[in-house]
Amino acid sequence: MGKRRQKQGIHSQVTRKKIFRIFLIQAAIAVFISGGLLLIDLVTAYSVLLGAALYLIPNLYFANRALKSKSDHSPNTALVELYASEIWKMGISIVAFAAVFILVKPLSPFSLFVTFILMQISGWIAQVKLNNRFLKL
Amino acid sequence: MEQSLVYLAAALMMGLSAIGAAVGIGMLGGKFVEGAARQPELVPLLRSQFFIVMGLVDAVPMIGVGLGMYLLFAV
Repeated sequence: MGKRRQKQGIHSQVTRKKIFRIFLIQAAIAVFISGGLLLIDLVTAYSVLLGAALYLIPNLYFANRALKSKSDHSPNTALVELYASEIWKMGISIVAFAAVFILVKPLSPFSLFVTFILMQISGWIAQVKLNNRFLKL
Repeated sequence: MEQSLVYLAAALMMGLSAIGAAVGIGMLGGKFVEGAARQPELVPLLRSQFFIVMGLVDAVPMIGVGLGMYLLFAV
């Protein structure tokens, strides 16, 4: 039973590693762009960083919790875990957005939202490219 | 009056986003259970696919929530 469970968890572990690699690349690109913008304008630079953080922190939590290998064996447990992690992700995002808009002043909302949306789009493309079997479903 | 319109806009943005996300994720969960009932050995694979598609479904609502928060707290 233990071996079977371990075998079943392999797919989640592989996906998890690939997703973490995508997040790492996205974070590195955001830091690089922010570093470049630092030479032009400080507010824009940290707004870009905040936009990237607002995308990465909830998604890291979601990926970490949703793709845990230990609850792979039962569809019910997997579904409950996926829904719970999604709800937490939304909660973290709402709190983080509110905190940024209340606490950080001055802020460049255009840079923040452009970074956030670009991170979402690059995340879609990377995650769909990551697993070609998705296209055959 | 202007501030109430801003709050109304934020509420509509977040509420409609929530409806869209709820329908999408609900359908996704239903299909996951259906697939798991047909082929229980594919649960780990379905779980990874579910994770990826859930990321696609909830991206636009997250942007809506972000813009709603901006309207609520920064405008």
